[in-house]
Amino acid sequence: MFAFQMADIMPALPEIFLAGIALVLVLVAAYGGETPRSARRVTRIAMGGILITLALVVNGDPLASRAFGGMFSADSFAIYMKVLVLLGTFAALGMSLRSDGDSDINKPEYSLLVLLALVGMMLMISADNLMALYMGVELQSLPLYVVAAMRTNSLRSSEAGLKYFLLGALSSGMLLYGASLVYGVAGTTDFAGIAEAISGRDMPTVFIIGMVFMISGLAFKVSAAPFHMWTPDVYEGSPTLVTALFAIAPKVAAISLLLRLSYGAFGSIADQWQQVLIALSVGSMVIGALGAIMQTDIKRMMAYSSIAHMGYALAGLAAGTVAGVTGVMIYMTGYVFMGAGTFAIILLMRRDGAEATRITDLQGLSRTHPLLALGLLVMMFSMAGIPPLAGFFGKWYVFLAAVEAGLVPLAVIGVVMSVIGAFYYLRIIRLMYFEDTDSPLDSKIPMANRVVLGASLAVILLFFAGIAGLLAAADSAAVALIVLG
Amino acid sequence: MDLIMNSYVIELAWIVGKIMLVVGPLLIAVAYLTLAERRVIGFMQLRKGPNVVGPFGMFQPFADALKLMAKETILPAGANKVVFMFAPMLTFILALVAWAVIPFGEGLVIADINVGILYLFAISSLGVYGVIMAGWASNSKYAFLGALRSAAQMVSYEVSMGLVIINVLICVGSLNLTAIVEAQRGMWFALPLLPMFIVFFISTLAETNRAPFDLPEGESELVAGYFVEYSSMSFALFFLGEYANMILMSGMTTVLFLGGWLPPFDIWPLNIVPGPLWFILKVMLLLFVFLWVRATTPRYRYDQLMRLGWKIFLPFSLIWVVLTSGFLLWTDNLPAVMAG
Amino acid sequence: MGVENPVPELLHEYLPIAVFFAIAVGLAIAMVSASLLLGNQRPDDEKMTAYECGFDAFDDSRRQFDVRFYLVAILFIIFDLEVAFLFPWAVSLGGIGVFGFWSMMLFLAVLTIGFVYEWKKGALEWE
Repeated sequence: MFAFQMADIMPALPEIFLAGIALVLVLVAAYGGETPRSARRVTRIAMGGILITLALVVNGDPLASRAFGGMFSADSFAIYMKVLVLLGTFAALGMSLRSDGDSDINKPEYSLLVLLALVGMMLMISADNLMALYMGVELQSLPLYVVAAMRTNSLRSSEAGLKYFLLGALSSGMLLYGASLVYGVAGTTDFAGIAEAISGRDMPTVFIIGMVFMISGLAFKVSAAPFHMWTPDVYEGSPTLVTALFAIAPKVAAISLLLRLSYGAFGSIADQWQQVLIALSVGSMVIGALGAIMQTDIKRMMAYSSIAHMGYALAGLAAGTVAGVTGVMIYMTGYVFMGAGTFAIILLMRRDGAEATRITDLQGLSRTHPLLALGLLVMMFSMAGIPPLAGFFGKWYVFLAAVEAGLVPLAVIGVVMSVIGAFYYLRIIRLMYFEDTDSPLDSKIPMANRVVLGASLAVILLFFAGIAGLLAAADSAAVALIVLG
Repeated sequence: MDLIMNSYVIELAWIVGKIMLVVGPLLIAVAYLTLAERRVIGFMQLRKGPNVVGPFGMFQPFADALKLMAKETILPAGANKVVFMFAPMLTFILALVAWAVIPFGEGLVIADINVGILYLFAISSLGVYGVIMAGWASNSKYAFLGALRSAAQMVSYEVSMGLVIINVLICVGSLNLTAIVEAQRGMWFALPLLPMFIVFFISTLAETNRAPFDLPEGESELVAGYFVEYSSMSFALFFLGEYANMILMSGMTTVLFLGGWLPPFDIWPLNIVPGPLWFILKVMLLLFVFLWVRATTPRYRYDQLMRLGWKIFLPFSLIWVVLTSGFLLWTDNLPAVMAG
Repeated sequence: MGVENPVPELLHEYLPIAVFFAIAVGLAIAMVSASLLLGNQRPDDEKMTAYECGFDAFDDSRRQFDVRFYLVAILFIIFDLEVAFLFPWAVSLGGIGVFGFWSMMLFLAVLTIGFVYEWKKGALEWE
């Protein structure tokens, strides 16, 4: 009855390995003291761990993918998304490795917490059971609350952490309550079991309520409107390195979980959650696009921009088809690299060592740092969805899927909002190229930022070349998610 | 209908009778424990202690009780009146109701529930609420600081107490107190688990705020700790509760480690002495050690107290859990799991 | 008799505890009210002030206190939860065998790492 089988945990090997590294790092952090040197050591070990995990993930066998009695699924969809999350976190950690860095972030606990959150994200991506879902969400959220408040002598950072924590706790409560209702009706916590229990029968209202609660709880995690309120404040208040992390990795995990939940557990009642997701999508697109216009702080602007991006991604999710999932996956791929590249530049926005994150601080960047300006130009064009950059392909496949699924109005709203959104991306380009400045930003560009920016630029610029391969991979992953379940 | 009513009434009366049989002697025991404390410590310090009221001072506790009863109940102006009055009552109530599951002999228990040790552990942990409420409601610095210290101390030692209990449970395989006693028929757990027995006993000292861990009441710094502001019967209830807790903790130690009502050896003439008598004897022995410790040891410093709890007892008892379970598993001596 | 209808059986077991509670509450109330009735109640302003060394208290006593007390409370929650997990494990160890044993050892190892961390970080220091 309690027989232990290696095969039952092997698919989770990457997560187990990463968690083991995190535990070792707890000890390293405890014994290493609070010096920046110790912090860098922890970060290096963490990054090494991530690389090995990446290798383990890629080497995973997507056919023998169930672990922990079916609670955990490492199918090809999970592998695809995990690679994104791992790369994003790797980039975010790499950029924190600088000798003149922020002394508050230069604590060994930072990388440690990020690593634990990363384990949570991977668990979210692989969750195939309500309990694994909740465990992943909490494991991801709790360390992130702490790192948001990592700059302990800054009121804003503490406020950001507290706000994130309170609203996050609320959303976890909603998620858990919804899960309990769903479990109450379905009688199982297993996604496949839930799908089986609900197929072909009339669903009691309680179940629908539970489902909506769960989707709302997850919508908070992806910061989709109207659950987006925390995003701008947390993005602005957190240390910029943390903001970079927030912008890159957790959203991918949350979107994956939303995909797996809605397609895996609630697949047979797509018509029920479709309306909810359409509402979330439209709300996010509108609020993201309109909210960003009014911002003066680039971190706040990026927050609204990410809300809008989530809106577009949700449009693909709402389609409820294999093409929709593929679209979302392509979109998230572009999103990760756009976020990493943009924040590699935002992190450099310092004047005399102090952070300068107002949008107007970018004035005249083309004169003082022509290459950076060019990099940001590409990022902004990609975010606005200008072909042939990565952002364009993401939007293209998402809206295509929406149209194919008969959601033409949704696609139309998406396109309109993209055009409005282009305004504030182009505003930054205008500031960089057509304004002048007498107080240039610091010129020191650490190696890590160069590498991240270069890699992101390469991916975004060459996206069109590799799109066929990506599509094939995403397609098979989407099939694995929906058809093979 | 009448018949059913009657059977309920009879059953209820039987329960009430049993409870009274416990509560009455318990309160008298508390009274004489206070006297014993003063006499024993008196003799240890080459004094006489109270010996005037009645033969050997036998009526002293009742004189004290009457005096307290007749005193004025003072409600400090800044206090939260309701909480202030409720705190001592809570302490007292909890010290009493915990006795519901203690087996005095074979089958001599008011409620033989199958999660007895959990109930006991839960009720004794609730005791901290009485302290906190008293300290907060009094609105006095001494009471407040005393309550804080006391709460921190009680929760710190509760952890190691819990781990020690786990050790015993591994050897028993049941949460029922009668089963725990029965499992000691061959050998009292105090022998194989001797280090845990010592940890547990010291933890009970800390849990009841007794010397050498009586910092919360440290007269020289905090006057009387969390019950500075109490007078009259409210004070007496705290006092009763605290001493009843001492007896309870001794009873708990007896059940967990000293074989409850079982005689030391199952041989004549030890095994013709009734079980409850053995139980009472063991409790009295432990209580004497309580008093002995108070007369002998100086008070701990607060940092020493926390160090002992968190850095010594906690890791030590945790390691012992691993050792006990590992040893029993390795030697295949684990108790069989009961069906159901 | 209890097999078909386990709930009344359970209530039956716990009934004495409920009665005990009632009696204890009654006793406590009776004792306090007896003293309220018997004793002379003559409060005055001086009697009702908080205990101090002969002067009036400067301010409210409910004020900031050492954050370490919070720390102790948090650590307590963690370790008490651990103990709560250990209870069912301890009584069923005979049934879950080697696998159960090692599962709990893994859990305890993770917890011990956390314990080492807090120790090294000085969360347990009171000097």
